[in-house]
Amino acid sequence: MSENTVTLAHGAGGKQTSELIEKVFKAHFSNPEFTADDAAVLNMEAGRLAFTTDGFIVSPFEFNGGNIGKLSICGTVNDLACMGAKPLYMTCAFVIEEGFPLDKLEEIAAAMEKTAKEAGVKIVAGDTKVAGKGQADKVFITTTGIGRIMDKAHTSGKFAKPGDAIIVTGDVGRHGCTILLARDEFGIEADVSSDCAPLWGTVESIFDVTNDIHVIRDATRGGVGTVLYEIAEQSNVGITLDRESIPVDDGVRGVCGMLGLEPLYLACEGRLVIFAPESEAEKIVETLKKGRYSQNAAIIGKVTDDNKGKVIMETEIGSKTVLPQPGGELLPRIC
Amino acid sequence: MNENVKAAKDIITGYSGRPLRIMEVCGTHTHEIFRLGIRNLMPKNAEIISGPGCPVCVTPVGFIDEACYLALEKNCTVCTFGDLIRVPGTEMSLAGARAKGAKVRPVYSPLDAVELAKQNPDENVVFLAVGFETTTPSACLAAETAKSEGLKNFSLLTANKTMPNAYKALMGSADAFIYPGHVNAITGNKTCMELCEKYGVSGVVAGFTANELLTAIAVTLTLADKGEPFFKNCYPRVVKDEGNPAAIRIMERVMQPCDSEWRGLGVIPMSGMELRDEFADLDARKKYDMPEIKGKPNPACRCGDVLQGKCKPCDCKVFGTGCTPQHPIGACMVSGEGACSAYYQYS
Repeated sequence: MSENTVTLAHGAGGKQTSELIEKVFKAHFSNPEFTADDAAVLNMEAGRLAFTTDGFIVSPFEFNGGNIGKLSICGTVNDLACMGAKPLYMTCAFVIEEGFPLDKLEEIAAAMEKTAKEAGVKIVAGDTKVAGKGQADKVFITTTGIGRIMDKAHTSGKFAKPGDAIIVTGDVGRHGCTILLARDEFGIEADVSSDCAPLWGTVESIFDVTNDIHVIRDATRGGVGTVLYEIAEQSNVGITLDRESIPVDDGVRGVCGMLGLEPLYLACEGRLVIFAPESEAEKIVETLKKGRYSQNAAIIGKVTDDNKGKVIMETEIGSKTVLPQPGGELLPRIC
Repeated sequence: MNENVKAAKDIITGYSGRPLRIMEVCGTHTHEIFRLGIRNLMPKNAEIISGPGCPVCVTPVGFIDEACYLALEKNCTVCTFGDLIRVPGTEMSLAGARAKGAKVRPVYSPLDAVELAKQNPDENVVFLAVGFETTTPSACLAAETAKSEGLKNFSLLTANKTMPNAYKALMGSADAFIYPGHVNAITGNKTCMELCEKYGVSGVVAGFTANELLTAIAVTLTLADKGEPFFKNCYPRVVKDEGNPAAIRIMERVMQPCDSEWRGLGVIPMSGMELRDEFADLDARKKYDMPEIKGKPNPACRCGDVLQGKCKPCDCKVFGTGCTPQHPIGACMVSGEGACSAYYQYS
C-alpha cells in the first residue's frame, strides 16, 4: 500500500523525499534553472516585474476540465498576465496528506508541466511537505510566479474610465458550476466542464492590436460580478451591463436556474474581464474570437459616470435594476 | 426582446386606469420581479406588493422555538431546508442552537432526512416540514416512506400551509393577486375560481419567465380596470384546472387541514396541514410530548405588516440598519426570496 501512496517518510527530508522529488517532480519540472541547490539562480532582464502568489485547495482535486495542478499554474499565470506581464518563472509548494495516491500526484505534476509549457513559464523551485492523515485534505498547492511587464502595458483596477467598454473573454461561471456538480450534493447532472486555462497568450494577442487597455482582471472566486463591483469601487465609476450580451453556457444556465444562482457570481478560471475605450472594443473582441480560449468573447457593458460604485443591469425586458451583491460564502474551496 | 414581451410591456407602462394594488404571493415571483426590474416599469397608479409567499417568511417564531426545543432538550437531529437555520426564534435561531451543540443538518429534500435516519439508527431525526402545496407532497412522501419501512427514529415537525384561506384573509390588502403557477399546478384552479365567484377575489395565475410574468401583469391591469372580479390562468402550458391528482392524493392520504399560525397574520382557520392520525407516530409534537410553546417576535420587526402589504420593507425602522441579510431580525430578511431581503439586495 505504502509503495503506491505518499507516506510521512516522503516528507521527512531523507531518502524517500529525494526519491519522490526525482520520480515525480524532477521528471516533470526539469529545466536548467531547476537545480538541487537551496534556491534557483535567475538572470532577469531589467524592467518592471510582476510578482504574485496563490494557494489552491480546490475540492475535489480533480474535476471535469482539469485538476488542482493545472489550476495552480493557471491561477498564477493569469494573475501575472492581467498586469500585462509575460510569466517567466514559478515556484510551487505542496502540502500532501499522508496516504495520497502516488499516481494521482504524478497526474497533477504532469498537468502542471503541460500547462506551464503552454504558458511559457519555467518551474524553478519547489517544496514538499507531508501532513498526517486528517491534518490536510488530500493535496494543497501554493504557486508563486514572476513575470516581466511589457513596456506598453499599464493596467490596474484603478484605471477604468467612463465610456470604457467592458469585455469578457468567454462564457461565465463554468468553473464554479463544474465544482458544484463535482461535489454531487444536489443530485444534478449536467454536461459542464471547467474553463480553467492559462491566458498569457490571450493577453499577448490583444496587446498586439492595441496598447489602450485600462483594466484586465481574471474572474476567479466570486466570478465576473465580484470583479465588476471591485473595479467600480477602485476606479470610482458606475457600471452598466446588458443581460442579453453576457455569454452563459446552456448547461450552466440550467443548473443556475434550478439552484437559484446568478452565473455572474460563479467562479471562472479561464476568463478575463477587460476594460478598454469603446473605440478599441470591437478590434479587441475580433482578436479574442480567433483565440483558443476566447472564442465566445463579448462586450457585456460599459462604464458610466453616474451610479458610482454600483453595477446596474439592463434586464432582458429593457428595465434597469441593481445587480445584487451576494453575501457570505457561496461555495467554499472552489480554487 | 420578443413580440409578446414588448406588447405586455407597452400595456403595463401605458396603464392609466384606476389605482391598483397587485399582490404577488410567491417567493420566486418576488425574486424574479426584482431581478427583471419589473417594479421600475410599473406606472404611477399601479403597484406591485409582496404578500406571504415565501415559506420561510410565514413560519412563525414559535415553530423555530419548537425546533430548538427538540434539538436541545430532546437531543434530536433536526433536518431542515437551509434557509430556516438562520431565522431568529424567540431566544435563538437553529444556528444558535447548533452553536450550543445541537445537531442541525441542512437537507435538500425530505427524503434526504429519511435516508439520514436509516443510516444513523441511533439518532432521532426530525424533519422540519414547512412550505406550501408545492413542497408538502414531498414531505408526505417522506412520511409514507418512513411508515412503510417501519423507521422508528424519523418524525416530522409540521408547519405546512395552504393558500386558499390566506387569500381570503388578505382580501382587503390588494385589488388582485398574482397566483403562484407552481402552487396552482398542484392544486388546480378550482379554489381560485370559487374565490372569484363567491368572494369577489380577483387574480391571475402566472408562470416565472419574463414573458409569463409580464403577460400576467398586463392581463391583470386590463381586467382589473374594468372593476369586475376576474380569474384568468395565464400559465396554461403548466397549470391545468384539475391540478396534479397524484400530488393531491398523497397529501390527502397523509395530511389533513388544520388551523395554522402565520407570521404576522396570526392563526388562519384551516390554512395549515397536519399529519393524519394514522401517521401519529411520525408526528414530532406527539412523539416528544411537545409542551405548548408561544413564540415572541422581536417587537422592532415589521415582517407581519410587510407580509400583509401594509408597509414596505424600507418603512420598517430596523430595515438595513439593525436588520440585514448578514444579521437578520425578521424572517423576511433571511430567505433570498423574502421581500425584505429582495428590497435590500436590489437597492
